[in-house]
Amino acid sequence: MRVLSALALSLSLAAPASAGVKETLSDHILPGFARFGAASDALAKVAEADCTAPALRPALQETFDAWMAIGDLRIGPSETGALSIAFWPDTRGFTPRTLRRLIAEEDPVAGDAAAYAEVSIAARGLFALEMLLFDPELSTYKAGSYTCLLAATLAADLGNQARDLKSGWSETFAETLLTAGEAGNATYLTQAEATQALYTQILAGLEFTQARRLGAPLGTFERPRPARAEARRSARSLRNVVLAAEAAHSLATAFADWEIPVTDAAFARVLEVADAIEDPAFQDIRDPSSRLRAEILQQSVHALSEAIQAEIGAPLGISAGFNSQDGD
Amino acid sequence: MTTRRGFIASLLAASTTPALGWAAVGNPAYLAAAKEPDGAFALHGLSANGQSTFRIPLPARGHAGAGHPFRAEAVAFARRPGPFALVLDCARGDVIHRLTPPENRQFNGHGVYSADGSILYTSEQQSSDSAGFVGLWDVESGYRRIGEAPTGGLGPHEIHLLPDGATLVVANGGIATDAGNRRKLNTDQMRPSLVYLSTDGALLDRLDLAPELHQNSIRHLAIRKDGLVGFAMQWEGAPDAATPLLGLHRLGETPRLAEAPLAHEIAMKGYAGSVAFSGTGEEIAITSPRGNRLHRFTAEGHFLGAVSRSDICGLAPLADGYLASDGGGGLLAIEMGKPRALALHSCAWDNHIVTL
Repeated sequence: MRVLSALALSLSLAAPASAGVKETLSDHILPGFARFGAASDALAKVAEADCTAPALRPALQETFDAWMAIGDLRIGPSETGALSIAFWPDTRGFTPRTLRRLIAEEDPVAGDAAAYAEVSIAARGLFALEMLLFDPELSTYKAGSYTCLLAATLAADLGNQARDLKSGWSETFAETLLTAGEAGNATYLTQAEATQALYTQILAGLEFTQARRLGAPLGTFERPRPARAEARRSARSLRNVVLAAEAAHSLATAFADWEIPVTDAAFARVLEVADAIEDPAFQDIRDPSSRLRAEILQQSVHALSEAIQAEIGAPLGISAGFNSQDGD
Repeated sequence: MTTRRGFIASLLAASTTPALGWAAVGNPAYLAAAKEPDGAFALHGLSANGQSTFRIPLPARGHAGAGHPFRAEAVAFARRPGPFALVLDCARGDVIHRLTPPENRQFNGHGVYSADGSILYTSEQQSSDSAGFVGLWDVESGYRRIGEAPTGGLGPHEIHLLPDGATLVVANGGIATDAGNRRKLNTDQMRPSLVYLSTDGALLDRLDLAPELHQNSIRHLAIRKDGLVGFAMQWEGAPDAATPLLGLHRLGETPRLAEAPLAHEIAMKGYAGSVAFSGTGEEIAITSPRGNRLHRFTAEGHFLGAVSRSDICGLAPLADGYLASDGGGGLLAIEMGKPRALALHSCAWDNHIVTL
């Protein structure tokens, strides 16, 4: 029976494994959270001055753009922290239901950004704000109205969340990843585990884009579901797909300290096929030729994932988990 | 044959003889199946500090096992739908019996010995329609099939004995599967249940979930010394439903479902792979290898917190908390919600840790 100590295993894998983690943090993840934090702060500041929908829309778009670079990460502080910033998919309609209840009852929690952290995660973050700012009915609110106050508080709460996530990553979790394999680190018992965790995040983000960002509106050929497109109210559905692919490519580039030409080409192909799509919210998906273009985009995201597996996963000998792939 | 029986009888009579009991194999506290680095499969005995005390090769991937209460003898079940189970002499490393279910029956990956070690109860389903059965095997006559009892549901998975030694608890997963593979046939019409049977097969109590939770397959069980049952579920309905994955129940009483805050529940990905009470019995936890996390609750079902660990699945009580295993080879002690690495093995631990 071979039983390796954590130390022995980490030493044997140290050189190739640690480089990827450090650079992925410094080149992509930590600057990404800093940028998202700055964008959220800017949004909250705009909202303090003018909380009406037309005033807030550009700043929300910029914040959403910044989020997409790091929004698909689901480890460390983002494991649950990402869900109260981006509560989607919302197949049971929790976001509109909770917002409408708050507005109907004029719940006083809308006046207190700190207390708002206790509200259902469905009524917090980017998608709740998007609903208030872009829904044709809700977004007509006037300055000084309850909904205007709610929008400003949502923006402030988002700023608080962005700050917490940024510090959670930069002050704590980055260290957890970088000290993988050291005594006392019970999250990652070897450096290889930290490497695998980050690599898995890249693929999981692309899988989410294929299966949900594209798969949800595509539905089936007999029954397309355009109303299920992500961020369709703000017409960001296509943009989010492109930015998610860009994030995966950027993470992969930082992660690998070697050339990844097939991955580069696969990402270029995603951009190229995305360019051919006409409706940025996928609302034309019932039209067979529009549907075909969305399916081609989905295939290109899949190809990007396969390129990353071939150029990064295979050389590192990383594959998916033993139990997670095979339930019982 | 006579000689062999005589040998086993003398072994039973002298059950405290250290050389023939678990002491002979290093007094393991647990059993766990694993995939070895070379791709082969094995059953390990584990000490409370995470060391492997013995290792026996298995011919195929094992699911759970069951340990004899005093003999160094374990049953390893094939993964469902299982055509065989192996009885292992853990001291000699030999397969001493190969159990084959009767015609039109398949093992479902779990089983348990009676408290006196005389009978092995196995979780089985009828191949043709997935109807559940408990199979009874007489240990002393060389694991002869001596009977069976219906479980009153489809696709039973884990099976346990209550501390009274006279009551079986069965998790009827509710899923009908194709006889030749694991393809699910009825996820729209599932009706999982938790049933209590007397050891002679009489139905004592049956718990069904609320209609909106009928797609929550009840699959794994944990039993506290006072008879409190924890049951872990796996959601087969639309994704993102974030339904509760743990329930607590006591024979004859109303169940309590244990929910985590929404963000935590979503992160479990609708899947609990194992459940265990803590060593003190004051709390209970479930693991999700898909969500890479463990959730802790009070024994009353209140959420206490989460622990993150990649591909975590196996779970068992440990003195002050839990022993958890994962597909990366790690064995962690989780005490007061804090993980501590006990050992890192070169194998991938399978779904369950069985307490001896």
